[in-house]
Amino acid sequence: MNATSQQQGQGQGQQQHPNIEGRHDDDAALSEFLASLMDYTPTIPDELVEHYLAKSGFQCPDVRLVRLVAVATQKFIADVATDALQQCKARQSAVVKDKREKQQKDKRLILTMEDLSRALHEHGVNVKHQEYFADSPSAGLDPVSRDE
Amino acid sequence: MSDGGGENVKEGENNLNHLHSKKSRSRADDFGLSIAKVAVAQICEAAGFQGFQRTALDTLSDVAVRHILEIGKTGNMFANLAGRSQSNVFDIIQGLEDLGSIQGFSGASDVHHCLLGSGTVREMVRYVGEAEEIPFAYSLPGFPVLKEREPGRTFEQTGGSPPAEHIPPWLPVFPDPETYVSLHKIDEKMAQIWEDEVGGPVEKRRELDKTFANLQQRMACNGTQPSVEVDFGNEAKEKGLVECNPFLTPPLQHGEKEVSLVLPPAKLSDEVFLQSANLEVPVSHISAMETFAPGIEAVKSGTFDFEDGRKKVPLNGRPNVRFKLGGGKRCLRVAISSQNQGIDKNSTWFRNDDGMDDKKRRVEQILKPSYESAGTDSLVN
Repeated sequence: MNATSQQQGQGQGQQQHPNIEGRHDDDAALSEFLASLMDYTPTIPDELVEHYLAKSGFQCPDVRLVRLVAVATQKFIADVATDALQQCKARQSAVVKDKREKQQKDKRLILTMEDLSRALHEHGVNVKHQEYFADSPSAGLDPVSRDE
Repeated sequence: MSDGGGENVKEGENNLNHLHSKKSRSRADDFGLSIAKVAVAQICEAAGFQGFQRTALDTLSDVAVRHILEIGKTGNMFANLAGRSQSNVFDIIQGLEDLGSIQGFSGASDVHHCLLGSGTVREMVRYVGEAEEIPFAYSLPGFPVLKEREPGRTFEQTGGSPPAEHIPPWLPVFPDPETYVSLHKIDEKMAQIWEDEVGGPVEKRRELDKTFANLQQRMACNGTQPSVEVDFGNEAKEKGLVECNPFLTPPLQHGEKEVSLVLPPAKLSDEVFLQSANLEVPVSHISAMETFAPGIEAVKSGTFDFEDGRKKVPLNGRPNVRFKLGGGKRCLRVAISSQNQGIDKNSTWFRNDDGMDDKKRRVEQILKPSYESAGTDSLVN
């Protein structure tokens, strides 16, 4: 599907007369998608999107466009979250290899700043956070290792 | 031992962080951000996360809000580029392509590709088809709340005609005249007080009301303290009781000269005591009246000596200036009179000043000009 559409796009660019049928298909697909957005309720509420769109100077009375923006943002966040989840899983599996018996208890998947900043970096958002603060050398170590 | 110390420090830090976060959370956009946080948390939960770091959730929701703002900005920019003020689908799609150009999308390599078949739109269609539909956890009111303003009723709507010709009828009606012509309620209250204290006749009270209203306006213009009030010699004689009350003086007429007499409060009090004890004024004491040439001339040719003339300047028909200085409960007063009998009365007045309470003093102040109505010009507070 992707390959064909790319070919179509290249075809349009090189030959100036466009493929009318393909464009009709795309047109129909887009309008159908926009119409389907009326039934789809994104997780990000319309009111929030409307508020921030109005704040940014965007003006359009069409509700479908608000939904479109909501879906786009939701998709973006979901992509970032999925990436962070992969990071988290990869990190946990790497740790488990070393000391399997110790890390068994906190196997919950938790969104941490470390994973998030890595995931956001892939999407072009640079998030710098304080790596670590410790007032004494033993403060960050877990109790078991401290006892030793 | 080290454990305990470490934990204590940790607890202190937590408390500090808690306080700090509470303090810093007073932004105007708090509501929107917290809603975004809930929505982002729901999305992350759907993605498979089981827990959050607080900072991570804050960051991600902030990024989400910025993403919306960025889409709005680029969409608006492309609309303006095309010469429109309202955006349409293609502006948004183009903005999304711009935002997604870092990540990349299918068909991005072709600059001339049609927006209808954009890769970002196709990805979104796929996402909508795949992702399960999770509505927002709460029902939201529209925000921010915008209050509908009710414009005031105009002259046309009420059917009345404007009070003057130069006021067009489409302007909102004036408030009730009582609210700006005179302060009726206060007037009545004050009149009641005066009636209780003075027991004056009704006509006088009417006059008091009128002048009091004027005075109120002037007070509003002048500020509070010290307020300068000007008395007129002749009118004071005619109106007697009305005019001698410092609260009831009419405004300065056009063309009337205002003779200002400025005395600092400390010197005032000095003079009061000196007067009451019939002592001489020290030479080092420099009064503002010394610069007042006509007054000194009158003193030289007048009926009393220079010592008194320093403090008591005859004002031949000129308006006198009253200075009211708020100093606690008691008000300081210096009486200026062109006649000796007036001086005598004033000195007695000041001698008794200490023993009087406020009410008595006011009554005497009101009634005094009737005593000295023969020749007194005025009275300076």
